[in-house]
Amino acid sequence: MISAILSLADVSYSYPDGTHALSSCSLTIRRGARTAVLGANGAGKTTMFLHLNGILRPSAGQLQWEGTPLDYSRNGLRMLRSRVGLVFQNPDSQLFSASVREDVSFGPMNLGLTDKNVRERVEEALHAVGMTEAADKPVHNLSYGQKKRVCIAGVLAMKPEIIVLDEPMAGLDATMQEEFTAVLERLHGSGITIVVATHDLDFAYGWADQAIVMRAGRVLAHGAPREVLLQKDVQDELGAVPLVAEISRQLSLLGIDLRDNGYLPRSKGELLKAITAHTRQENRP
Amino acid sequence: MLTELSAYTNRWRQAPPAAKGLFSFCGMAAAFAAGSPRTALLVALILSAATILGAGVPVLRYLRVATPALLFLLASGLSLVVSLDFGGSTGGLSAHLAGAELPRIAQVSCRSLACLTALLFLALTTPLVDIVSLLRRCRLPDTLLDLMTLCYRTLFVMSEAVHETITAQSARLGYATFTLSLRSLGGLVANLSVQVWQRSQVLQLAALARNNDGALRFLGPDYPNPARAVSGAAVSGLLLIILAVTLP
Ligand SMILES: Nc1ncnc2c1ncn2[C@@H]1O[C@H](COP(=O)(O)OP(=O)(O)OP(=O)(O)O)[C@@H](O)[C@H]1O
Ligand SMILES: [Mg+2]
Repeated sequence: MISAILSLADVSYSYPDGTHALSSCSLTIRRGARTAVLGANGAGKTTMFLHLNGILRPSAGQLQWEGTPLDYSRNGLRMLRSRVGLVFQNPDSQLFSASVREDVSFGPMNLGLTDKNVRERVEEALHAVGMTEAADKPVHNLSYGQKKRVCIAGVLAMKPEIIVLDEPMAGLDATMQEEFTAVLERLHGSGITIVVATHDLDFAYGWADQAIVMRAGRVLAHGAPREVLLQKDVQDELGAVPLVAEISRQLSLLGIDLRDNGYLPRSKGELLKAITAHTRQENRP
Repeated sequence: MLTELSAYTNRWRQAPPAAKGLFSFCGMAAAFAAGSPRTALLVALILSAATILGAGVPVLRYLRVATPALLFLLASGLSLVVSLDFGGSTGGLSAHLAGAELPRIAQVSCRSLACLTALLFLALTTPLVDIVSLLRRCRLPDTLLDLMTLCYRTLFVMSEAVHETITAQSARLGYATFTLSLRSLGGLVANLSVQVWQRSQVLQLAALARNNDGALRFLGPDYPNPARAVSGAAVSGLLLIILAVTLP
């Protein structure tokens, strides 16, 4: 049985200027899953994320933590925010201390932990994102990718159950993206539920267990990436199909079946492996 | 940011800020205690030697950081020495040399110089982050320190924004002529005010997201052997004050 950790039920939200950013948005985030949220610019991903952490409150509908409606009292929000870590899109808007170590300590200090406890968590979090070396550097001397890691460490140090990242890959070079995926994978391995907003279809297709596609403040499709991302209406909305899926499809039209135990490859690596395996089979006498 | 660079790269970066703050404070006390310009100069010399030889700040960088303040000191010293007089008894413009006041002016200038070197010592060996955490331990009001932290951080974020905006404007010939420059400058200021406002809003959201409910709390850094360093600083600082008091 798959358990829901956080869910939105018919959530609507309008910004003060009257923009309807979310309208009857319903979705479920499963515990322990890797969820990718996709959608065109302005679809409402960031707005939805701000709801997950209790920063915005729905004007209609409700959010549920493991089935019970969120409690927006002081204590309720405290609980929620220590369980749901939110990493913003622009690192400069999240880092407000001048030194790396200090900034990472900000969240745990807010939780009211002892200094010793905070110190341990900070070192642990910095280690988890591979930033121990740069711990004493001033934030403004870090590269963009390093700043992003510090942001994650800052959230990680609060030991959340879910980490929600708004476009973590944007602005990173290919190597950094790969390293970043590895960091996400490690976090996921340690039992943290991960939600990522992204414009990178290929990444979503290869990485996620669950895809949510948004359009104009609503959920357009919700389910396994290999189904959702190949749906016709989703393709029309996002304007593309995952490259790996497209290649497999074209090859299957040519009569080359890349299925392995019934599964098509999901990432570049898997695709290459499947093609190699297939060629080898063909060449066998 | 030359100060910044030194603060993070000097030999005494890892020394506890309490020790450096104490020594700097003693330096200022010694500057005030100095009975003659000669003694004040000696104090200044010792303090700058501590910065250059002790903390290993390159001489040239030290001079470059000190120059603006020194020029300012020189200008104010000169304006004390020479006083201009309009009208007066003769009706014309006349300049007076303040003859009798000279020793006192020398005294004030040399003391200021010594104070300057004491402050430079702290600024060039200790990052602002450490200074703030030191002040926090001295029980300065949180609001003031939070402001310092935010201003400092914002300085870098904003300078980047200014840089980017100017580059973008120049790329579209925003500064090609004088009139265009004025217009672009106006645009820059307007754009920056909006950006400052938006950024401060997002910063607040980010603070909320990490469970903040008011004061910005951070973990102070940890230093090896704080007691030894602080007592070392106390002893050398006291010696400096005694020197300043006993010398004529
Ligand atoms: N502070 C705000 N005030 C008013 N309207 C806003 C505000 N923030 C976002 N909006 C509007 O709400 C809608 C949803 O925006 P949101 O930022 O959630 O989209 P998004 O999916 O994150 O887009 P992107 O991919 O560009 O980050 C947009 O129409 C946007 O213009
Ligand atoms: Mg967004």
